[in-house]
Amino acid sequence: MSSKSRYIGAVEIGTSKVSVLLGEIFDGTSVHLIGYGECQSHGVIKGVVTDFKQASDATHTALLMAEQKAGVKAEEVYLAQTGGHLEGFFNQASVSVSAADNMVSQLDIDTVCRLAKSKALPEDRMVVHHIRRPFRLDGRMAGTNPEHLNGQRLDVGYWTIHGAEARISDNIHVIRGFNVRVGDLIASSLAAGTMLTSPADRQHGVLVIDIGAGTTDYVLYRDGGAYLAGVVPVGGSHLTNDLALGLRITEGQAEKMKIRNGRAIVLTRDKAEKVWLNGDLAIGDRQFPRQSIETILAARVGEIFEVVKKKLGGELTPERCAAGVVLTGGTAKLPNIAEAAARVFELPAQVGDMPGWVDEKLRDPSHTVVLGLLHYGLHGKTDAGPPRRARSGNFIKKLFAVGA
Amino acid sequence: MSKTASIPPAARSWRDIPQDITPRAMSTVGRRRMTMKSVKTIATCVVLVGLAYGGFEIWRTWRANPLVLAGAGRSEPVRHVRVESDGVLGQDWVEKTLNLPKDVGMMDLDLFALRERLTAGGQVASAVLTREFPDTLEVKLVERSPVLRLRTRAGHGDVRDFLLARDGTVFLGSGYREELLESLPWLAGMKLVRAGDGFAPLDEIDRVADLLATASSHAPQLYADWRVISLARFEADGQIVVQSGQVPEVIFGTREDFFTQVARLDLILERVRRRPGEVVRSINLAVGPSQVPVAFEVPAIGALSPAPSRSNRLLPKS
Repeated sequence: MSSKSRYIGAVEIGTSKVSVLLGEIFDGTSVHLIGYGECQSHGVIKGVVTDFKQASDATHTALLMAEQKAGVKAEEVYLAQTGGHLEGFFNQASVSVSAADNMVSQLDIDTVCRLAKSKALPEDRMVVHHIRRPFRLDGRMAGTNPEHLNGQRLDVGYWTIHGAEARISDNIHVIRGFNVRVGDLIASSLAAGTMLTSPADRQHGVLVIDIGAGTTDYVLYRDGGAYLAGVVPVGGSHLTNDLALGLRITEGQAEKMKIRNGRAIVLTRDKAEKVWLNGDLAIGDRQFPRQSIETILAARVGEIFEVVKKKLGGELTPERCAAGVVLTGGTAKLPNIAEAAARVFELPAQVGDMPGWVDEKLRDPSHTVVLGLLHYGLHGKTDAGPPRRARSGNFIKKLFAVGA
Repeated sequence: MSKTASIPPAARSWRDIPQDITPRAMSTVGRRRMTMKSVKTIATCVVLVGLAYGGFEIWRTWRANPLVLAGAGRSEPVRHVRVESDGVLGQDWVEKTLNLPKDVGMMDLDLFALRERLTAGGQVASAVLTREFPDTLEVKLVERSPVLRLRTRAGHGDVRDFLLARDGTVFLGSGYREELLESLPWLAGMKLVRAGDGFAPLDEIDRVADLLATASSHAPQLYADWRVISLARFEADGQIVVQSGQVPEVIFGTREDFFTQVARLDLILERVRRRPGEVVRSINLAVGPSQVPVAFEVPAIGALSPAPSRSNRLLPKS
């Protein structure tokens, strides 16, 4: 290990599985993926820990697996946060530029940022992210750093994601039970969005939806940055549940049926077309109309998208979301889900494609969040605080630097 | 009041959640990790404290009495001396020459001084001494080979036999078999210069050594008969004069290669052997390739049948 490298674990404690990715971060600028661990999740419902011991055992097993594959121990963990308890609100603040010459100073920026973030939360709520939107100076866009620009009134707004303290605390303590610190807590939607969208997409506007087993996380990007994010406590397991109820089969059988014969839109016109439950012609194996399966799944998928659309409200317009909708998560593997999304959002939609540098084994949509955690932890922290003037580097290095 | 004074404090963040956790709340894996981490931390602290204490002790000792540090390695005495040599010197000679005090410590050995002792006599060209802990001194010797011997007065009066190596070093040989020494020709006609307890190396001995090597390898029967090698005319005329049992004076030149001259000498002596009664007094091979002056002894009057004198005849080129 070089002196400037750190071993960081990215952990997603999901409803269906716990995923851990171990990365070696060099010099705080590049990451090398060195270990992966996955374990079936227990004690987690809709992204919330309900049985601490079971959730801990599953998470620690996955962490141990990743450490054993990497041959090193994680120094700290970037943890994905999801769950229906996560909510968001927008708060805006404005200040008058203090300088006599109307030039925006760092003090003005600090003040307006602190004001915008100062909205009080209920006692049992805690901030997970403050997502800053672009500054405005006298109503016009002023980018991410308005210092030295001239104007009279400086505005900034923050989309604040907050969650229940007890739920967040449970998640953190699951990791602490492994005796490793949580270095960063990142909303799953932001992790997935950072991974799947390019700067151009984010500039044009893009909606990223991560449909997991228990929750659906979404983030809307606009003007180059995250604009708002949220969670819907419905996911792929609800599709399975609906299928089990509708066809009167067990959840295990419904899950297999969903994977084998499921579709997010109804394409089958022939009501007589049937599929076998197990396909082994054993006792109990029986046939179901394919159209019924598709109808049940299409209804639920459409409903999930409708809920997301409703949550976004007027913020989602075709003009401000030119890059369309990007889908990811385990449920995004359902055939024709992009078409279902396109119908609901009336925008072009696609299942997100991983960047080229991602290993073939990790290109599955269900790995997007863990990959995104490392990526976001490394590059995506642009929304935390007020922008700072770039500090000059090491003085000695600069002094003896050879001119390029 | 400043502008920022009225801003309410920021809402609590997830970073305000304390991440301390009691071992009881950890899983088995977490407890094991914590134990290992604690053990590592304690071990690191112990090592650091040990190093710091050791450094302090060394510093304190050095300030008080530096000699104690120098003798720190004295505890282990030299028990074995292992000798490797490419010549005749062996374990006994090395131990006798080194003359190590009994129970001398490994770290007390002055290897440079010991090497000087081994090479002082001249027979050892180079010596490498190595400490092999815990208790062995390894000595590797490269010896000089004698090509000539000479007799001279050494020190205060005793006349002794010395040996001469190819590089001109004069030394008292040790460990050589008597037969080998008897087979070496004597050196004559050179003035030795004293240097310290011995003699300064002689110049140009390598040319003589070349002649002797050529003769011993290509005409061993001739070489075996050579008694004295005189270099009296070497500096002035470039001639090496060999006195053998058969011919009192064979003159070799250094301008022509020795192999040709030795071959010519062998031929001449072969022809002379076919003429019984004729005694060669001198053969001069240094004149050149065209002719070789051979001088014969003048026979006593009446000893030979009537014939013209054959002294100073010139033999044709072979």
